[in-house]
Amino acid sequence: MGTIAIWQVIILTAYSMYQIMDELTIQSSLSQPVWAGLIAGLVMGDVKTGLIIGGSLQLTVLGVGTFGGASKIDANSGTVMATAFAIGAGMKPEVAVAALGVPVASLMIQTDILARFANTFFQHRVDKMIDQDNYKGIERNYLYGVFPWTLSRGIPVFLALAFGGPFVRSAVAYMNDNLAWLSNGLATAGALLPAVGFAILLRYLPVKKHFPYLVIGFVVTALFSTVYSNIGLLGTTVAGMNKSFTTAFASLPMLAIALIGFALAMIEYKRSTSSETFSASSTNGPKKEVDTENSEEQDGEIHGDEI
Amino acid sequence: METKSNKKYQLTDKDFRQINIRSLFFNQWGWNYERMQGSGYLYIMLPQLRKMYGDKTKDLRDIMKMQNQFFNTSNFFNTIIQGIDLAIEEKEGTKSLETVAGIKSGLMGPFAAIGDSIFAALVPAIMGAIAANMAVQGNAIGAFLWMAVNFVIMWFRWVQLKFAYKQGVNLVTAMQGQLNALTNAATLLGVYVVGALAATMVNTKIIYVAHLGKMAVNFQDKIDMIMPKLVPALIVGGIYWLLGRKRMTSTRAIFIVIIVAVALSALGVLGKAM
Repeated sequence: MGTIAIWQVIILTAYSMYQIMDELTIQSSLSQPVWAGLIAGLVMGDVKTGLIIGGSLQLTVLGVGTFGGASKIDANSGTVMATAFAIGAGMKPEVAVAALGVPVASLMIQTDILARFANTFFQHRVDKMIDQDNYKGIERNYLYGVFPWTLSRGIPVFLALAFGGPFVRSAVAYMNDNLAWLSNGLATAGALLPAVGFAILLRYLPVKKHFPYLVIGFVVTALFSTVYSNIGLLGTTVAGMNKSFTTAFASLPMLAIALIGFALAMIEYKRSTSSETFSASSTNGPKKEVDTENSEEQDGEIHGDEI
Repeated sequence: METKSNKKYQLTDKDFRQINIRSLFFNQWGWNYERMQGSGYLYIMLPQLRKMYGDKTKDLRDIMKMQNQFFNTSNFFNTIIQGIDLAIEEKEGTKSLETVAGIKSGLMGPFAAIGDSIFAALVPAIMGAIAANMAVQGNAIGAFLWMAVNFVIMWFRWVQLKFAYKQGVNLVTAMQGQLNALTNAATLLGVYVVGALAATMVNTKIIYVAHLGKMAVNFQDKIDMIMPKLVPALIVGGIYWLLGRKRMTSTRAIFIVIIVAVALSALGVLGKAM
């Protein structure tokens, strides 16, 4: 693989480090596969090949977004790999994706989890800095997050570009065989950690007072998400068995769940404002009440007379 | 209280500019499993909080702690929530702590849902299709077109903060003297949303299958018959209880959670759900 020069490895690694920060912040589209193909093509000296590879990988990930911080197969680094090795080493793009893009992506899933873990450490440093009134420290420890993020993308891409596919594959194999318990454990812990965030947040909210609504929010969502995901699973299975079945089922729309909450909050707001005005403006309140009572009685009398 | 209201800080255009720059270029740098965009929310408006409450005051520390809690929403809409938040805090100060906590957690769910479906699914699908189809013919114009569209979106992200702030001011003025009612409704929504998120965002399940003779007992299936997502609920409840214990800090709690999670996963009891 000596056909990829050192400076090309460095620029492509730097690009892969930049793209994750772009994705997290401004989202200028520079992290998308088409741009990865264009930039890698420019660096390798063949823009057209880069664009074709980027475009075809873009088509394969079309419509697949990042939802809720889930780690996914990385089309961006796949494009960089495929372009670099297709132009630099004369590999077929499809072969390069399979031989390099896939192992890089699986290594990146691990480094991504590690980065999100490392930032938990900085989150707690921020907690400490708040108690010390250290405002510069808060900002510094927040911005340190840039290191885990960029390294999580830069290391796998650099290793693959510099040492080639066999090296990355053996690294992934080592992780999967010897360290499986650790990577599985960290994935499980990562899935569990939001529970800590929720629990702390609940300590800031009057959870005892609104406990019934905690139950409603949880049960409604738990039931619907189970139903939706089971129907989706059924749909994919049937589609796999019968090609004429083309209906795609959407996942649970969280907005609908939130709207139920909005309705409950509005009811509560109306109830507490009306009870407040009764107690607060004692001069106005009773009078109005008497008025409405009178009119209602009059209405009733008229109806009674007619009958 | 009366003397404090006299020297209330009024946000200026310079403040909005600073918040927007921090939101556009630095949001999510500190994203982590435990509180996700939590520290980011604090970082984005820290300079304004310092001006509003004054350095080294207990008020500022209390507010900073609250703003450093779990938060996660679409990074296209976070400044809408922050604009409303700032309008309330500017008017009510520390009295609004609970209201703001409720509004933040109440609004993050719906805005995440809207933002993801538009900016993580719809726009990439349309612009990606255009850019990709041009690119496979060796044409780079589609990629530049996509970037141009994203710059327009960035412009919207820039102007929405002040718009949201004004709406927030209107909200507080319209609800003059109704802070209790607003707090009540906002915290209700917040608690409700946290309940909903606990059911969707704690992706864990029992993977242990007991083999009793020829029969295999799948524990997760049995639990699902009692109540789906019971495991995440018990975990959130358990950690909530743990945090209420004496001498328990969130740092200690998180270490306990990580160790227990890795151990249970290695023993084949607990695993990550899809």
